[in-house]
Amino acid sequence: MASPLRTFVSAPTAVTATTHLPNEQSLARQILHNLQHQHYWTELQIHTHSSLTHAPLPRPLVSGLPPQRLYVHPDEQVELLKKADRERKARAAGEAGGLQVKVEPEREWILPTRLKEKWTLRRLAGVFDALTMVPPAPGPSTPESMREEDRSANPWRTTKRVLLATVDTDSTVVYYILHDGVVKPRQN
Amino acid sequence: MAAAPAPSPITEPFTISLIAGRYLLFDVDVIAHCRRAHNICGLLVGTIPNLSQQNVFLGIPLELMPEEARVLVDRDAAYVVDDAQAHQTSFAEMSREERLKYMEEMDRRGDEVSREQREMAERRKERALREKGLRRKVLERENSVAESFAESTATDETFQVDDSSVASSGLGFIMKGSSFVETPVTEEKTQVDYGSLSNSDLGFIMKGSSFSDSWVQIKAPKIDSPAAEASLFEPTPASPSPAPSVGSKRSKSVAVQKHFVTPTTSYPPLPTPAKDPSLPPPAVPNSYPLFRYLHSKGYFHMPGLRFGCHYNVYPGDPLRYHSHFAATGLAWDQEFDLLDVVGGGRLGTGTKKAYMIGGEDPEVDAKDKDPVRAFSIEWAAL
Repeated sequence: MASPLRTFVSAPTAVTATTHLPNEQSLARQILHNLQHQHYWTELQIHTHSSLTHAPLPRPLVSGLPPQRLYVHPDEQVELLKKADRERKARAAGEAGGLQVKVEPEREWILPTRLKEKWTLRRLAGVFDALTMVPPAPGPSTPESMREEDRSANPWRTTKRVLLATVDTDSTVVYYILHDGVVKPRQN
Repeated sequence: MAAAPAPSPITEPFTISLIAGRYLLFDVDVIAHCRRAHNICGLLVGTIPNLSQQNVFLGIPLELMPEEARVLVDRDAAYVVDDAQAHQTSFAEMSREERLKYMEEMDRRGDEVSREQREMAERRKERALREKGLRRKVLERENSVAESFAESTATDETFQVDDSSVASSGLGFIMKGSSFVETPVTEEKTQVDYGSLSNSDLGFIMKGSSFSDSWVQIKAPKIDSPAAEASLFEPTPASPSPAPSVGSKRSKSVAVQKHFVTPTTSYPPLPTPAKDPSLPPPAVPNSYPLFRYLHSKGYFHMPGLRFGCHYNVYPGDPLRYHSHFAATGLAWDQEFDLLDVVGGGRLGTGTKKAYMIGGEDPEVDAKDKDPVRAFSIEWAAL
């Protein structure tokens, strides 16, 4: 008997006719499920076509909103800490409280992969070339929403990035951030 | 803090020695210049044979990665010289004048070495005498010996016609400690003095002083004595006084052991070899495009063995900065395992780096945009 998860993963995809193979579609759904239920991501959706070129993506990709900010660039982190420090000094001297760094979560691209796959730089570059800087918001994309998306974009987000989700046969998923270009590491 | 010494200027292009398939730099100034002006660190590999050391204790030569050599050659900052070949052809084509000049230079250096050795021996002797508290006395004695020696030779000259035993007393100089009853008082005195001197010389030998040292000390009278003998048996004492002085002079110059210097480098003696256009540029692995790309952005590189990658990439001099990337260069269509990405990403994040893979797209024209693309990988902490 098929479990609910199994039926979810292998459910036939929505009306959009794609050239993607069923295993690629089920892979995307498996990652989506993992993010939704194990990492509490929201606004998750599966993309089959590039919003830049409107051509089919190399494989279905997932986008979503994490509960906390996934990635803070080290320069942005320095800026945020300075800002938080100024705010702490501005507060009344008697008031307790340390540094309060507030960062809004950002929408992320997720690239679902299987561990046994082989990749090449060409394919990786192809994925990045088909992506926008920030994934589009769910719902019908109107010019207004696109513009709003641009305006709210973080000025520190200057290189494309995807979350590489790699799933093993035992359904363990590991996540790595993949930047397009030379991006210095976080000082954590 | 004391100001750093002004760097000696390097004229580009400089030479990179290709020896046994390795690219080496032998000049400290060139090494410093590479690091300062070209962001090229290389790796010092000079060590004691059969007792190789960890990297902090190594000296010149500096070994360059083929990628580093290639970058320098492509920038026209350097050119590669096949050292073995250049050495053989240049020495074969050396003119007679050059050869003589070179040998003279080697002779001069040999003299320098022997002079230094002699001075060192003198110093050692003085120190040892001072320790025994003999220095002043001996100096005085030496003076008196020199005087009395001159006297005695003078008297020898006068005595030589009627007294032949003096000649044997001259031999007594060699046989230390032998005394002749019938020798004149002055002779007796000098002989004893010499005996004490040579005894102290013997003491030197016992103490394990170097061979050349003792050789100098003992040889001096040995060489001197035949000269003295020759002067003794001269039938006509035409020039009595110069003979001993010449002898002593000769003893001084000859007594020092001659040094022959074998040069350890091919240039200075040879002029710096010219660029050989037939020599191909350094062969590089397919990770080179990534190296070139990162180097053009001002990054420094170190070998990546310690982090399981091709290059450790530093944003500045590795002595000042922590490395930013563990980079692996790949061909555009070279397949890689995702497990390698996961492993590299995890190790990089654990060591405050990002893992990087990159390569050159062969279909992109370098004039339009950089054909090299790099991807930085960090753990997502999910």
